Amino acid sequence: MTDTTPLDAAPAGKPTKSILVEDERTRARNRAEARFRAYGIAAIAIAATFLVILLATIVVRGVPAFTQTYMTLDVTLEANALDPNGTGDRDEIAKVTTFGYQPLIGQALVSLLEEQRIETPLPPPALILMLSQSAPAVLRDAVLDDPSLIGQTVTFELLTSSRADGYFKGRVTRESLARDRNLGPPHLDILDQLAESGHVERRFNLDFITGSDASESRPESAGIGVSMIGSFFMMLVVLFLSLPIGVAASIYLEEFAPQNRFTDFIEVNISNLAAVPSIVFGILGLAIFIQVMHLPQSAPLVGGLVLTLMTLPTIIISTRASLKSVPPSIREAALGVGASKMQTVFHHVLPLAMPGILTGTIIGLAQALGETAPLLLIGMVGFIASNYPAGVAEGFLDPNSAMPAQIYEWAKRADPAYYERAWGGIIVLLVFLMSMNLLAILLRRRFERRW
Amino acid sequence: MDDLRLIERAVDMNETKISANGVQVYYGDNHAIKDVNVEIADKTVTAFIGPSGCGKSTFLRCLNRMNDTISVARVEGDIRIDGEDIYDKRVDPVQLRAKVGMVFQKPNPFPKSIYDNVAYGPKIHGLARNKAELDEIVERALRRAALWNEAKDRLQEPGTGLSGGQQQRLCIARAVATEPEVLLMDEPCSALDPIATAQVEELIDELRQSYSVVIVTHSMQQAARVSQMTAFFHLGNLVEYDETGTIFTNPSDPRTESYISGRIG
Amino acid sequence: MALSWLFGLLVLIAVAGFFAGRSKSVASAGGDARGLHSRPNYYGWHVALNALVPALLLLVLWLLIQPFVLNRAVMPMLSSVDVNDRGTMSLVLSDVRRVAEGIDIAITEGAISPDEARDIQADVMDVRARLAEVGVALGSDVSIETLSAAQRYRALAYTGTSVMTILVLIVSLVGGVIAYRLVRPDFRSRNVVEFGVRMLLLSAASIAILTTVGIVLSLVFNTVEFFRLYPATDFFFGLNWAPSFSGRGGASELGILPLLWGTLYISVVALAVAVPIGLFSAIYLSEYATKRVRSIVKPMIEVLAGIPTIVYGLFALLTVGPVLVSAFGEGGVLGVSWMGGGTAVMTAGLVMGIMLIPFVSSLSDDIINAVPQSMRDGSLGLGATRSETVRQVVLPAALPGIVGAILLAASRAIGETMIVVLGAGAAARLSMNPFDAMTTITAKIVSQLTGDADFSSPEALVAFSLGMTLFVITLGLNVFALWIVRRYREQYE
Repeated sequence: MTDTTPLDAAPAGKPTKSILVEDERTRARNRAEARFRAYGIAAIAIAATFLVILLATIVVRGVPAFTQTYMTLDVTLEANALDPNGTGDRDEIAKVTTFGYQPLIGQALVSLLEEQRIETPLPPPALILMLSQSAPAVLRDAVLDDPSLIGQTVTFELLTSSRADGYFKGRVTRESLARDRNLGPPHLDILDQLAESGHVERRFNLDFITGSDASESRPESAGIGVSMIGSFFMMLVVLFLSLPIGVAASIYLEEFAPQNRFTDFIEVNISNLAAVPSIVFGILGLAIFIQVMHLPQSAPLVGGLVLTLMTLPTIIISTRASLKSVPPSIREAALGVGASKMQTVFHHVLPLAMPGILTGTIIGLAQALGETAPLLLIGMVGFIASNYPAGVAEGFLDPNSAMPAQIYEWAKRADPAYYERAWGGIIVLLVFLMSMNLLAILLRRRFERRW
Repeated sequence: MDDLRLIERAVDMNETKISANGVQVYYGDNHAIKDVNVEIADKTVTAFIGPSGCGKSTFLRCLNRMNDTISVARVEGDIRIDGEDIYDKRVDPVQLRAKVGMVFQKPNPFPKSIYDNVAYGPKIHGLARNKAELDEIVERALRRAALWNEAKDRLQEPGTGLSGGQQQRLCIARAVATEPEVLLMDEPCSALDPIATAQVEELIDELRQSYSVVIVTHSMQQAARVSQMTAFFHLGNLVEYDETGTIFTNPSDPRTESYISGRIG
Repeated sequence: MALSWLFGLLVLIAVAGFFAGRSKSVASAGGDARGLHSRPNYYGWHVALNALVPALLLLVLWLLIQPFVLNRAVMPMLSSVDVNDRGTMSLVLSDVRRVAEGIDIAITEGAISPDEARDIQADVMDVRARLAEVGVALGSDVSIETLSAAQRYRALAYTGTSVMTILVLIVSLVGGVIAYRLVRPDFRSRNVVEFGVRMLLLSAASIAILTTVGIVLSLVFNTVEFFRLYPATDFFFGLNWAPSFSGRGGASELGILPLLWGTLYISVVALAVAVPIGLFSAIYLSEYATKRVRSIVKPMIEVLAGIPTIVYGLFALLTVGPVLVSAFGEGGVLGVSWMGGGTAVMTAGLVMGIMLIPFVSSLSDDIINAVPQSMRDGSLGLGATRSETVRQVVLPAALPGIVGAILLAASRAIGETMIVVLGAGAAARLSMNPFDAMTTITAKIVSQLTGDADFSSPEALVAFSLGMTLFVITLGLNVFALWIVRRYREQYE
């Protein structure tokens, strides 16, 4: 204490202020405080607004994809058009292509209009444009299924064309059809009247969820089912590779790894891989799995391998966290009764860490399920996923799409009817992601342990 | 007890600075302070002693409404400074805290230069009209905290670079710079070595000339060394409040006696 | 199918080895397992692992190497192709492979008999048509040279696979038998098995290194290849991005600068959206919000992080783009016609900013919470308001950490693909107008590698150089950011 402390230095004449009266400066400071606080609230409000707009857009624009407009039509399957020789032989009938069924639909439409007393200037070939291009194929499949139908009048539920469907959903208006080559106002007049009489009706469309992708010109019959299977097989690959490898790697790093350069090197690699852009993993997949190892292009197996490498860091990081949360006392107890280090880890630590590991894995899987970019590079887009895989091996190896890749594919197509499909696909994808995250949360709630 | 330097100090009866009546504090369901009445005099060092968890720090934090920052804490009763209720709706805690400064258990200098640490309070309260005045305030505060000689050549260096004792004196200088009327100290020496402790204690004794100082300490020796008045807290109750000499030599409550003689605590 | 049979056989040998080893160990201890060094199961595992692991390693190695050996073997037969022209060579080789595989498929499907397959002559039979019947599509007609190479390839592959099968089985059996003979009561099988398991764990951990090596190799090799075809200086300093679509012309201009500009511009817009919103939400949540508000708002913001990027991409393309056009486009509400189309820097940047909000806010939240409470108490105790405390004490203290978080967010923005592919446009352009369509490195990687371009043309190979650039930039940012954040954390520990 060498300082001399001038005690008389207290501020002279500083008036004692009452704390009950807010002075001008405090008021100003409090205003600044309120402003600052308002910025925070505004930031959160903006974020919330974005979220609400995003979700609302998805719901509003995606839900229509789950319904589709159908026309109920009685079609007479005339024998002399489909089986002129009356053989009843399936091979013989199969020779009539879908083209041969079109006139039948035309006639059916004409008679429906007569029955309903609807007048129209349109000739039968133009009337068919109200229906999906898939309609003749539906008829043909039914006939090939049961040749005895020939000669009878059968009631079919046929998809209307995407423009007609769009008209009922409000996507297509009379004005926007003015320059359309396929559908014009006269068609809409007919559709209006048929809707009134109940022959045209919008209803739930399961085919969107279970069906396959369709060609560019038939958005009304495109579905996400096949690419869902593609995603499923990819997720199987990811699960069965990343869980064991991730757990093994984490156990090594957390329980056994000596403190040395090599361990550090592994750690640095893992933390950097976690931040490598996903598209780079796509390049890796293309170069190594496809160009060097000659694995089949567009195959869910390759997609799964790429996504595995991408999710591994996430799973390793979360697994290590849950291994770390098992208190050392458990390890000491097991080692104390003479268990080996390996037995301690596999008998005690790992089971206790399992809920945390599973939670992390599910979250990693959810991330992988929504990932698109790397799939673009290994050829899972531009491919029309039109057939279900024939079996398990084909499921892994045959070209397929995946849900997010399918959504991207639809978003790129020119027909706006496909945008509705894309939004609908997003709803399906988000339902999966939400259920996975919910499962993870439930797991955490159910098994969370505080030491 | 023999080593206690119980110097006879003149406890001139100054006017009352703070008066607390029927103060109750709840942390959620926990009743932390039970019906405390105390009068704290101006220009006096008042020590709060007691075993850990007895509520002495909690009560101290009521005096400048630092408990407001803890959402589960609830304060009832009546605390007045210069006759004004500090829990009155019209009171802005910001203004109150400018009047009732606080020094904490662990030295907590801001990650700024020594100068900026001390100038922080005067700046936010607008005490200086210009740079020269601010320089003057900073110098005065550092002198008063007995840090000027050590710090005057390194005012622009970070405050975190000082030693523990210097950091705590910097925190005291920081509190003094805002020219408070009451200085609350929450175990200011518990993180310091004996030499730094001695320096801070000497400083406290000098600060008494200008302020009412309230110090919480777990060390009875420290209370005996620096304070004129001592309050003994136990399990949330104010057991005994008297002149320091009386508390340490002739306590009236058996609990105080047990604590002083080391049987509880 | 043969491969799965082989695998099944290996597993069978291992299972048999397990039980054999187990029972021998018990028998060797006179039926009392307590006389053994390890539990009987460890003896079983010892035999099983010895039968399985070396054989599997051999199998995998063989499968990886065989294609290279086969390619080398048939290459001299393709005299019409210049050996140094790697692109054509790899195309022809893949044709050879497809023909060979196609013939195999045709045989299993019964379309061609094995004898027929051996004697196919390209000039007598339309191989392409026959293979198309069994579902193997070929890009061009099969030349005599290709066919004979394919026949040789088939023969070699057949021999190779047979030799491999036999060798793998021998290794498995020998491994099993040796391990079985080692079984004695005093054999420390637990230690051996544990060492083996430890090695397996180590190799799992090493996959991270392998992945990095794989990324670096695939980028470096193809980048080197690209720079042999296209001068590196033109790539790094070229102001034009105009790949020719005709295929292999020298007319392409492949300068990275317009792409880099687009990437950075979009990232800056994204950060301009995400940093203020994310940072202020984090400040509010950690300094002001009650526990209840926090428990509602935090998960809500994190929902934004769980939404896949394809959703954001679609949102940009179909919602934000048109909205922006209706405001800033021709005949828009604001009466300015700055915006030509829905895809623009602004569209992609805005949406990417939304995507990054949770990233910035949760990182900053962690960092702000790491500032010790005593710092806040010190400031509040001096009579500072909360906002003064935040602005003058908490934020300066947290600044390095926040800078790190922003750098991490920037690296995310630079590497983001789907939003820019759908929302930013396809034209490479060096423009200052944020309402212009521009394109980015990631978007061009996608477009150069998903077209029909031949993989050995500069137009496709440039994607790898772009990838390399992207990898180096993001890696550098990440390493730097993590270093800052780590140093920041150490300061308060």
